[in-house]
Amino acid sequence: MKFSSRRYSAWSLLRARFAGAGYWRPLWSGRTLQTAYDVVVVGAGGHGLATAYHLARDHGLRRVAVLDKGLVGYGNVGRNTTIVRSNYLLPENHYFYEDALRRYETLSRDLNYNVMYSPRGVVDIALSDDDLPVLARRGNALRMAGIDAELLDVAALERFVPALAPRRQRRFQIAGALLQRRGGTVRHDAVAWGYARAAAALGVDIIEHCEVTGVHTQGGSATAVETTHGAVQAGRIVFATAGHTGLVGRMLGVPLPIETHLLQAMVTEPIKPLLDTVLVYVGPGHAESYVSQSDRGGIVMGGHLDGFPSYTREGRWHRLEDVVQASVELLPQLGGLKLLRHWAGTNDMTMDGSPLMDRVRYDNVFLNAGWCYGGFKSIPASGAAMARFVASGTAPDLIRAFGLSRFATGHLLDEPGYGPYPVRL
Amino acid sequence: MTQLACPFCGPRPLEEFLFRKTMPNAGDSAYARTYLRVDHGTHSEEQWQHSGGCRVWLRVVRNPSTGAVASMTVEGSAYELR
Repeated sequence: MKFSSRRYSAWSLLRARFAGAGYWRPLWSGRTLQTAYDVVVVGAGGHGLATAYHLARDHGLRRVAVLDKGLVGYGNVGRNTTIVRSNYLLPENHYFYEDALRRYETLSRDLNYNVMYSPRGVVDIALSDDDLPVLARRGNALRMAGIDAELLDVAALERFVPALAPRRQRRFQIAGALLQRRGGTVRHDAVAWGYARAAAALGVDIIEHCEVTGVHTQGGSATAVETTHGAVQAGRIVFATAGHTGLVGRMLGVPLPIETHLLQAMVTEPIKPLLDTVLVYVGPGHAESYVSQSDRGGIVMGGHLDGFPSYTREGRWHRLEDVVQASVELLPQLGGLKLLRHWAGTNDMTMDGSPLMDRVRYDNVFLNAGWCYGGFKSIPASGAAMARFVASGTAPDLIRAFGLSRFATGHLLDEPGYGPYPVRL
Repeated sequence: MTQLACPFCGPRPLEEFLFRKTMPNAGDSAYARTYLRVDHGTHSEEQWQHSGGCRVWLRVVRNPSTGAVASMTVEGSAYELR
């Protein structure tokens, strides 16, 4: 099949208008697996594709393959709630996610592919005078790092989110909120497709339905990956398989500080514009919920983990109910809507809630994993940093804190603040 | 996986049960017991509690890829049930 790296522009739209449907070509297609590569990236999700893209663009590596046991973008990059933000408390996290958010701001131009970044704001809502100082502390930490954060009182919040001005009485009073204006949403599938198209244009081979089943080693190095299409020589190997990293650990013979848990999301039938921001809400008796409205009009809701390890991708009803209850408590006007779809993603949950980016066992095997709740929003920063790590052999400062050794030395990044557990009980 | 069978109460809805932890399986050091996991994919030994029912602590062997429960016994108990 023919592949085209045709640039998108107003001019190309105009030409396509007269050239007919045949003008448009597949975004990427039809590469055959070679027998040897400089770098083999395992996992054609956001992180794997972004890593391959940056390896080819920034470091001039042209023999790069991305292998996936399924299809491009069929894992967690297509299962998240599309929210991007950088309002984390810990410096190691907020500098990293800020790097990602800055890259998201220009990603459509960089990839020449519209990822529909919408800086509609992310609003963390406080329900009591005790919640508000916690948000203020986080906001202050962000402002000291030069990241935008605003503390809103109730009047300012209701001006910013008119849907919150109650026509009907809400169950709980709101005390205030923390707003990150540059946070918002990005079309998740477009991120995967955009990176795949851009990487393919730079000569990266994207091979779908090619599962990696083992690693060949010699001494302290890996030499090749065994796949369902045969062995492939690899100078360096990157595993970007978040959601199934525990199984990769077993394949490599390394226990990892990761458990796999389910995180659910759901979307209602489409309605007229109601909500032009992202609301994050922890109601009394609820774990957590976040609500936004998609460009198609559906109300997208997500929540907390199901609470036990699972690979089934079948969400637990009781958590679904919890998320919906919390959302309706916050926005009573959602009460009459029907749910359209409901799904779950498998999350790599680390023992401190922060990611893992490090070498693992062999000097040329790299792990990009443990994304917990932050996988989608970190993609551009993760890809750039991981590519630099793989190309240079040294972890960039931005991700040095995400090493595996932090668990042994006690330098945990306990962002959620509940100790060495993958899930809050 | 919508129900679990408590040895005392019989089959009860899942939301009555609380997952507590995955049993240490990656070594005996405090570090390994606290942080590391060997992920078998199809086999997981866990501690649960029937927190919304009889509050008994349970040792559960489960397949996290299907949700199927292989065994469910009273934690730390030598006596047999039923």
